[in-house]
Amino acid sequence: MFQVLPQPIEDILRVLEYWDHILAGFLTTMELYGGAIVMGFFLGLLLALLRQYGGFIISRIATGYIEFIRGTPLLAQLFFIYFLPYSMNAILEAQGLFPIPIGKWSFQTDIIILDRIITYTIFDHRMLVGLLTLALNSAAYQAEYIRGAIKSVGTGQLLAAQSLGMSRLASIRHVVLPQALRRVIPAWSNEAAYLPKYTVVVFFIGVVDLFGKAHFIVANIFRTLTTYCIIALIFLALITIISKVLDFVHKRTSIPGL
Amino acid sequence: MLRIVDGWKSYGDLQVLKGVSFEVGEQEVKVIFGPSGSGKSTLLRCINMLDPLDKGEVHLREQNLMAPGINLNAIRARIGMVFQHFNLFAHLKAIDNVSIGLRQVKKLPKEEARAKALEMLNRVKMAEWVDHYPAQLSGGQQQRVGIARALSMEPDVILFDEPTSALDPELIGEVLQVMLDIAKSGTTMIVVTHEMGFARAVASEMLFLDNGVIVERGTPQHFFVSPKSERVKQFLKQLDILYGSHKELLKRSNEEESK
Amino acid sequence: MVETPDLPSIFFYILVNGLPLTLLLTALGLLGGFFLGLSLAIMRVYGGKDLDLVSSGYGKVLRGIPLLVLIYIFVFGIPGIFWFIDPLMRPLFGVILALALRSGAYQSQLFRGAILSVDPGQMMAARAMGMSQFQAFRHIVLPQALRLAIPSWSNEYAVVIKDSSYAYAVGIIEMLKVAFRVSANYPLLWAPTMGVVAILYFIFTYPITRIFGERQTKKLKKLGMGGG
Repeated sequence: MFQVLPQPIEDILRVLEYWDHILAGFLTTMELYGGAIVMGFFLGLLLALLRQYGGFIISRIATGYIEFIRGTPLLAQLFFIYFLPYSMNAILEAQGLFPIPIGKWSFQTDIIILDRIITYTIFDHRMLVGLLTLALNSAAYQAEYIRGAIKSVGTGQLLAAQSLGMSRLASIRHVVLPQALRRVIPAWSNEAAYLPKYTVVVFFIGVVDLFGKAHFIVANIFRTLTTYCIIALIFLALITIISKVLDFVHKRTSIPGL
Repeated sequence: MLRIVDGWKSYGDLQVLKGVSFEVGEQEVKVIFGPSGSGKSTLLRCINMLDPLDKGEVHLREQNLMAPGINLNAIRARIGMVFQHFNLFAHLKAIDNVSIGLRQVKKLPKEEARAKALEMLNRVKMAEWVDHYPAQLSGGQQQRVGIARALSMEPDVILFDEPTSALDPELIGEVLQVMLDIAKSGTTMIVVTHEMGFARAVASEMLFLDNGVIVERGTPQHFFVSPKSERVKQFLKQLDILYGSHKELLKRSNEEESK
Repeated sequence: MVETPDLPSIFFYILVNGLPLTLLLTALGLLGGFFLGLSLAIMRVYGGKDLDLVSSGYGKVLRGIPLLVLIYIFVFGIPGIFWFIDPLMRPLFGVILALALRSGAYQSQLFRGAILSVDPGQMMAARAMGMSQFQAFRHIVLPQALRLAIPSWSNEYAVVIKDSSYAYAVGIIEMLKVAFRVSANYPLLWAPTMGVVAILYFIFTYPITRIFGERQTKKLKKLGMGGG
C-alpha cells in the first residue's frame, strides 16, 4: 500500500512507526520542563525578593547571580555543572583523597501501551544534571520577571500596609506578592511557554529526550528532514498549548477594573 | 498626646525638616499647609515612622517613638494614615482593604473583622460598594475607603496627607464631608491640606510650613483675618486665585453661624 | 601542549581561536535577522490583514521551535540548500541561516513594538506636510523607531551571541568548541574551562546590554521619546 503513497507521506508514516520512542522522549522532555519550571519559580521568587528587599550586600549577590546566568550560554552552564564532579575528583585524587563517587545510577520502568514495550528512564544522574541546570538557569530569568512585577506594584502599597502596622514581611507577603504574582503572569508566560525549547540542550549530556529520540530514529531509518520537522511540530504544538493555557489563567486571575 | 520636638530630616544634601516642634492634644484637629516642597508630607511620614527623623523626638501618649528597640509595627498600628494617592491594595475588594489590618495586625477572627469593616465603610458612606475592587471605584470613593481603612484600626491619631489634592474638583466634597464627620466625632487628626474651608470649619490650630520650618501658627481666624508674615499673605493670596476667596468663605460661614 | 595549561592561557587561547567564528555567526545572524525582522514588522504594522497574519504566523512558528532543531534541519535535514558552497563550509551557513531566521522572528517583535511606540501624531504631522505614507515612514517614523529599538536590540544581540554556542553541535570551531578542545585531555580543567568560556561570553554580553539598554533608555527619555 505504501508504494502508492507520495514520498512525503510515506516518510511521515515511517517516522510515526516509532511513536513509542517519540512518546518516551516526550515524557522525558515534559519531566525536565515541569521540574525546571517549578524549581525555577521558587528559586526565582527567592532571588527576586532578595534582589529587591535584601539590603546592600545580599541584593548585590542576587543581582550578580542573575546577571551572570543571563549573560552566559545555557550550554556553558550545563557543561560546567556536568563536568564539576570530574574536575573535583581530579584534584582529590591528586592529593590522594577519596574521590566523589560519580553515580551511574538510573531508575527505569517498562510501560506497555498497545503491545509496545517502552523502556522509560524515569530519572538518572544525567537528568539530575540537566534538571539542575535548567532550574538554575530559568530561576534567573523568572526572577527578573517577578522583580519587574514587584516594582510595578509600587511602593505606595508597601507604605500603606506598613502604616496599618503590618510588619515589612507581612506587607510583602499579603499585599505586594499577591499583586505581583498576578501581574507577572503575562511576562512570565514568555519563560514558562518557551522553556520546553531550551530543554533540548540535555541531549548533549546524553539524556534521551524528544530531540535525542529524533537522532535514534534518524539513525534507524535515515528520514532526517521528516524526523526533525515532526519533532519541530511537536515542540510548536506544545508551546502553543502552554501559552494558550497561560493566557486563560491570566484572564481568570486578573484584578477587576485594573 | 502627640508631641514632636525639634524634628530634623534630610534626604542626601537636601534638608527637608529643620527643627519642627508642635504638640497635638486629644481630639484636636491640626491643619498643616504650605507650598509644595516645604516638607509637609515628610513630616507626616516621620510621625508614623515610615521614614524616621534624623534628629528629634516624637512622643505618642508619653511614649518616645524614637527610642531604640521600639516595635515600629505596633506604633504604626496606633497611627492611621490616609494617602494622597489613596494607596488602596489593588488586589483586594473595598471590604478586604478595610479588614486586612484587623485580620493581620489585630488578629481578629474573620467574621468579626468583616463586621467591623462593614461598620467603617458605612461610616464613610461606602456600604454599597463593599465588593468592588479599587480600580472599579472613583477617586473620591477610593479615598473614602482609604479613610475607612485608617479608621478601622481605631488609631490614636489619623494623619491625612493631602487627601483631596489628587481628586477631580467634583469629588472633593464627598471626601471633605466624611472628614468633617470624623473630626466632629472627636478623632484626633493631623491634616495636610489646602482646603481652607475645611480648615476653617474644624481646625483648632493651623501651622504654616515653609522650607522645613513652621513660619507661623494660629487659629484659622488668625490666618484669614490678620496673618503676620509676608510669606503667608502671599501664599494665601495664591490659594485665593486657585480656589476662590477664603475671605468669602469666612464671611459666609460667619453669617451662617450668626443665624 | 605537554604541561597542563593554566587558566589565563586557556582564556586567551579560546579568545584567539574561538572568537572570530563566534563573532561571525553573531554578526551575520543579527544582520539577516535585522532585515527579515524589519520587513516582517513593517508587514505587521502597515501590511493589512493578510500580511499581518503571514508575519505573525511566521513569528509564532519560528519562536516555537528549538534553535537546535532548526540547526539540525538546515545542516542535516536539507544539506542541499547550500549546494553552491564547499561542503565543508555548509554547516556554517546552515547555522547562520537558522540564527537569522529565528532572530528575525524576535526582531520583528521588537521592531513592531518600536514602530507602534512612535507617537501617531508624528505620522499625522508628516502626512499633513504632504509626505506620502512611505516618505513619512522612511524619514520620520523609522528613524525614531530604530532609536527606540536600541535597548531591546542590544538584548537580542546578547541572545544571538549566546545561542551561537549551539554551533558547536555541528562541529563549528567557535568558542565553546575550542573550549572542549583545549581541555580535552585534562579532566581537572573540564569544569574550570567551562567557567572561563562562560566568563568570556559574559564579557561580550553584559557590558553591551548594560550600556545600550540602560543608558540609551535614559537618553531617549531625555529626548521625550518612549514611554518606558
